[in-house]
Amino acid sequence: MFVLPSVLLVALFSIFPVVWGFVLSLQKASLISPNRPFVGADNYTRIASDPVAVKAATNAVIYTFLFVPSSIILALFLAVALNQRIRLIRFYRLAVFIPVAVSTIATGVMFMWVFDANFGIANWTLGRVGLGPFGWFDSPSGAMPSLVIMTIWGWLGFDTIIYLAALQGVPHELAEAAAVDGATRWSTFRTITLPLLGPATLLLVVWSTISAVQLFDEVYFVTKGGPLGATSVPVFYIYKLAFTSSYGFSAAGYAAALAYALFVVILILTLVQFWMGNRVVHYSS
Amino acid sequence: MRRTHRAKRKLVVPAVAAIALIAVACTSGSDSGSTSASGSAGGSGAPIELTMWHGYGDVIDNQGQTNYEAKSLTDLVNEFNDANPGIHVNLVYTAVNDHALEKLTVGMQGGQQPDIAYQYGTSIPQLSTAPSIMDLTDRVQDPSFKWDDFVQGARDAATFDGHVYGIPALIDNLAIVYNKDMFASAGIDPPTADWTWDDFRAAAQTLTDPSKQQWGWAFPTDATEDTVWHYDAMLWEAGGDILNADNTQAAFNSPAGVEALTALQQMAVTDKSVYLDQQNTGKTDQLFNSGNIGMLVTGPWALSAYPDVDYGVQVMPTFGNGPHTTIAGPDMWVMFDNGDGRADAAWQFMSWLTAAQQVKADSMEAGHLPTRTSVGQAPGFQEAFDKKFPGEGLFVQNLENVTKARPVLPTYDEISRIMGEAIVTVMLGQAEPQQALDDAATKVNAVLAGG
Repeated sequence: MFVLPSVLLVALFSIFPVVWGFVLSLQKASLISPNRPFVGADNYTRIASDPVAVKAATNAVIYTFLFVPSSIILALFLAVALNQRIRLIRFYRLAVFIPVAVSTIATGVMFMWVFDANFGIANWTLGRVGLGPFGWFDSPSGAMPSLVIMTIWGWLGFDTIIYLAALQGVPHELAEAAAVDGATRWSTFRTITLPLLGPATLLLVVWSTISAVQLFDEVYFVTKGGPLGATSVPVFYIYKLAFTSSYGFSAAGYAAALAYALFVVILILTLVQFWMGNRVVHYSS
Repeated sequence: MRRTHRAKRKLVVPAVAAIALIAVACTSGSDSGSTSASGSAGGSGAPIELTMWHGYGDVIDNQGQTNYEAKSLTDLVNEFNDANPGIHVNLVYTAVNDHALEKLTVGMQGGQQPDIAYQYGTSIPQLSTAPSIMDLTDRVQDPSFKWDDFVQGARDAATFDGHVYGIPALIDNLAIVYNKDMFASAGIDPPTADWTWDDFRAAAQTLTDPSKQQWGWAFPTDATEDTVWHYDAMLWEAGGDILNADNTQAAFNSPAGVEALTALQQMAVTDKSVYLDQQNTGKTDQLFNSGNIGMLVTGPWALSAYPDVDYGVQVMPTFGNGPHTTIAGPDMWVMFDNGDGRADAAWQFMSWLTAAQQVKADSMEAGHLPTRTSVGQAPGFQEAFDKKFPGEGLFVQNLENVTKARPVLPTYDEISRIMGEAIVTVMLGQAEPQQALDDAATKVNAVLAGG
């Protein structure tokens, strides 16, 4: 009886939309008109032949391959640096984590200033050492890397904290034993610390990949998918389909189908990552 | 199509604003509620509550400045509420206008649509499919409403398939707004009514100085409707059309379309005299106001954003001997029937709000061009209007150059997106005008064929 309210809430806000979304994905529907004829699996078969969906998927793959490895490697580096006994360590840890607590919109506003092609501090600074000027968000080739830099800045603190916690769980005795046996610091790190960080790495890979594939806020606010579709990613395209008519007046059903396709892709990605992860990750020391 | 230059600053406040406005509206309403009800809409008892969504922002913006567009509307609503105890209109600021259709779409999902909503005219064909939208065709024919008094282009935009679904809320048009001081210091003559686009291009080039972060012109290149309607005016001036006469085929890839886009290409790519505003979140207005941009092609709503500039206003340049065609973006009040006699009450309010006297009051308070011809043509109006809002008088005259309208189609947003992508591709130097327009025409034809 005590769980009934929670069960009802979950049913209302999770299960109902999931079912309704699936029904919608079988219809040719706009969210304005009540006239929603069923079209069977048409919305699903349309995906592969839709150049905009293919472009969005390609952008998601590029973004994921740029974002996930670089943010995890950088986080590992930072976590090791922040795992030292030095003065002001708490301050440094806080500084690294603060961007996570900053809202996406604030991050977006800040980076739009920093990366402004004409007045931004990034081009000004790089200009001093003879580089640029770069177009950043304004250039079709530069927008995606700029987006990657912005989101890494925003999420690095989270990854770092996870690694930091994992690092503090690595038993000192192992490192000391290795040192007694004559191992260098690098080989200790590579053969002892790194394997023990396996579970954390797996978590971060899975988590970052899911976030990367679902990228939306930054794109919506900063680049709006542009310039010329260079940063159009799946969730942004789904939003455009469902809530605007710039990709067709009755595209909400198709948007729902794409959302389901995205769900399946993420599910498969995650299962593959866990399967691969379980073959290389050691859970006990 | 009133885009707000305040869009960026307001992002954080809409929710707070909405709550505040509801609170304000409710408080002010309680006074009138106590007087005996004799409004035509109801007998005694609680007044009929109406909800009205708009995109003008807060009366006092988050920089402490009075927002006269919002103030004008709020004052009028309060005046109506005081005079009509049987009806109470609640004014709610929901979102900037670029997101008005999204807000309404989401609202309708939960059956939470307002009684009256501010919408772009281009959204009318889509909204006509909403189950509870009010078909105003018969109501506007009431002689006392004087439907024919509204500007022609606005009436056309309110009508889809012979049915009227909106009442004009705002009209505007595009003209050159230029910085007098920048022209003087560059030693060139300011724009005249005889200017061609070649003159415009030459001036833009002279005004451009990269070392001083100075551009001759600015253009919104975010590939939205804002990009497209700037191009539309040029397309029409060159003698072209967006679609053919019966809206079945793309027509913008004509020689006229190429001429218009080539003019943009020459300035943006060859001369680099155009500041390309990719995000289009208000930076252009700031740069014009700070003296970094010499000329803009913009509308009457923008003038209040340039307090620091001594600006002039001039009609659009022509292509040779062609017309000064401009484009108007009529915005609409769209109404929904939410039952319980609210439709009649909403109509009573709307016919009062858009009557000549209130239209004139709103123009003089907010600087909006009058939506009714009788107001704009009244003796002395243009002089008084131009005196209070320098430059606005030309925008009133410029309404005469509004001779064409965008196609009224449910697929218009999709056509606009395709055209916007083509224009931006060319302006970023990634395609040639003819090729880009031909590709876009192929896609538009597929959309029109129902593909």
